Amino acid sequence: MTLPVKLSAFEAALAEQLPAGDLRAELEGRGLPHRRVEDWKWSDLRTALARLPAEAGELTLTMSRAPDARRPLMGAPDQIMARLAAALGGQAQVYDLHNGETVTLDASVAAGAGHGAVVVRARDGVHAVVRERYSAAPGAMLNLNVHYAISPRAHLTRIIEQDASPDAVIVVTTTMDLSQRAHAAQTTLGFGAKLARLETNISHGGQGASLEMNGAYLVGEGLHLDQTGIVRHTGPGGTTRELFKGAAAHGGRGVFQGKIHVERAAQKTDAKMNHRGLLLDGRSEIDAKPELEIYADDVVCAHGNALGAMDAAALFYMRQRGLSEPRARALLTRSFLAEPLERLSDEAVREALMARLQTALEGMS
Amino acid sequence: MLEIKNLHARVNPEEGEALAILKGVDLKVPAGEVHAIMGPNGCGKSTLSYVLAGHDGYEVTDGALVFEGADIGALAPEERAARGLFLSFQYPVEIPGVPTLTFLKEAANAQRRARGEAEVSAPDFIKLARENAAKLGISSEMLKRPVNVGFSGGEKKRMEIFQALMLAPKFLILDETDSGLDIDALKVVAEGVNALRSPDRGMLVITHYQRLLDYLKPDVVHVMAAGRIVETGGPDLALTLESQGYEKYAGAAA
Repeated sequence: MTLPVKLSAFEAALAEQLPAGDLRAELEGRGLPHRRVEDWKWSDLRTALARLPAEAGELTLTMSRAPDARRPLMGAPDQIMARLAAALGGQAQVYDLHNGETVTLDASVAAGAGHGAVVVRARDGVHAVVRERYSAAPGAMLNLNVHYAISPRAHLTRIIEQDASPDAVIVVTTTMDLSQRAHAAQTTLGFGAKLARLETNISHGGQGASLEMNGAYLVGEGLHLDQTGIVRHTGPGGTTRELFKGAAAHGGRGVFQGKIHVERAAQKTDAKMNHRGLLLDGRSEIDAKPELEIYADDVVCAHGNALGAMDAAALFYMRQRGLSEPRARALLTRSFLAEPLERLSDEAVREALMARLQTALEGMS
Repeated sequence: MLEIKNLHARVNPEEGEALAILKGVDLKVPAGEVHAIMGPNGCGKSTLSYVLAGHDGYEVTDGALVFEGADIGALAPEERAARGLFLSFQYPVEIPGVPTLTFLKEAANAQRRARGEAEVSAPDFIKLARENAAKLGISSEMLKRPVNVGFSGGEKKRMEIFQALMLAPKFLILDETDSGLDIDALKVVAEGVNALRSPDRGMLVITHYQRLLDYLKPDVVHVMAAGRIVETGGPDLALTLESQGYEKYAGAAA
């Protein structure tokens, strides 16, 4: 038995908004996730939020079209942040994707703590694109719960942009059910917040289903971005490819937690996960934990993780040719981060993301 | 044009004791001349090229570097490049993800901006690249690749000379440009270098062997040993070294 923790004003304000029940009891008993919770050991949400104003806010969702339905989110996942988003965010916006369409969802919070929930369904054979963008103003918290249901033979492209949001907290918890023979490709470009956590939990049905999960991140001073991805292969013959690359500048922090879990039934799973980090400064930090957990005996799974500093020989070479040091560093960083974005098949989107990256790099040098 | 006066330099070690490598180099290369520096391995030839280019892994402890009448010893590598110093690297660096022409155009324009000149336009630059690539037998496919990525040692050396042609520096330092080249590639590279010879351009050719000099025909040959210039002569000196080796300079280390 543990004694209930002393809640911060922020936590107490959240708890007050909740009806009596399990969720409220859990929040009052344990508080928000913090560094002694294994899955949050590098992202101390409790501490980050304790310094934010304890006031309720509103999550603004700007969408390219009206949702197909609104309903309470049922069967929320077991993560406390996702449950809070479902409980406090009102009814979920439900999208039933049309074949060939692109839906854009901009989620932002201007002040206070804003919660929301979105459900996206791609029915049998539907090919569609969803572009999401998250930002929060200084002092605000954005907490979003996103659920994707991807039917057999559907083909989803998901693109996420997370704007640099200093002094704000952003938590987006995604659950995705990837059915047999479905395909999903997710690409993230993130710049962090005081604390930003983009968590993706995927249930991978196998039987020819394939998943691509790629991400690039660039975190500057005072910014923290945690990308946590858990892929659970439940059926046989599924494919997963993950490539994450990130750079942390002076005073920036990147976190990558990647896990591929292969259940006993998921024979012939073919899964590869790779994370590479570039530390731009002696005072930048990247923490990474790639994990494989495999219960099937006939699989091909691999993970790789490497952290390093800028290549000094390349820097000198570029400067000898006349480039200034900041310009040479920006060019090397850009080329390092381009690889996950180059996997995007849509050229216009790819170039738009590269342009955002370029602008961010120019702002840093 | 380039004057090296009593240059002393040492390695800036990340740990341990600093190691003196250059121990009083004196050298003058007038405009229009090609000088060769020959010497045994470890005599300080490559260190001299890095020190001239401004590598921060070396510390100049005495002496001066004067280029076109100005002391450049305190300038950053990019400032020296903008003044017209070009180093053809012994081991050219691969830069994944940065296309060769993008890199060179950025470099050319950075130099031009530093000199207060107008930037070169993209069409002009591409036209010039095609002409220079043709001189060196470089295919357009090679130009599309990231800087030096996937090239053989010989191809990298050829790309170094291509870069020199594109940037048209006032002064070239060629560091072991002949290493890794077969005889045909050596000829092509030498022709590229010879195309850069002009009355207002100087060159310093650092080499271990005489064979590149057969094609470049230097005006002056210097012998370097134990961090100093120990002998200076005409082109014949290279031939003498080729037949007799460097043993007679071994005592210079003392």
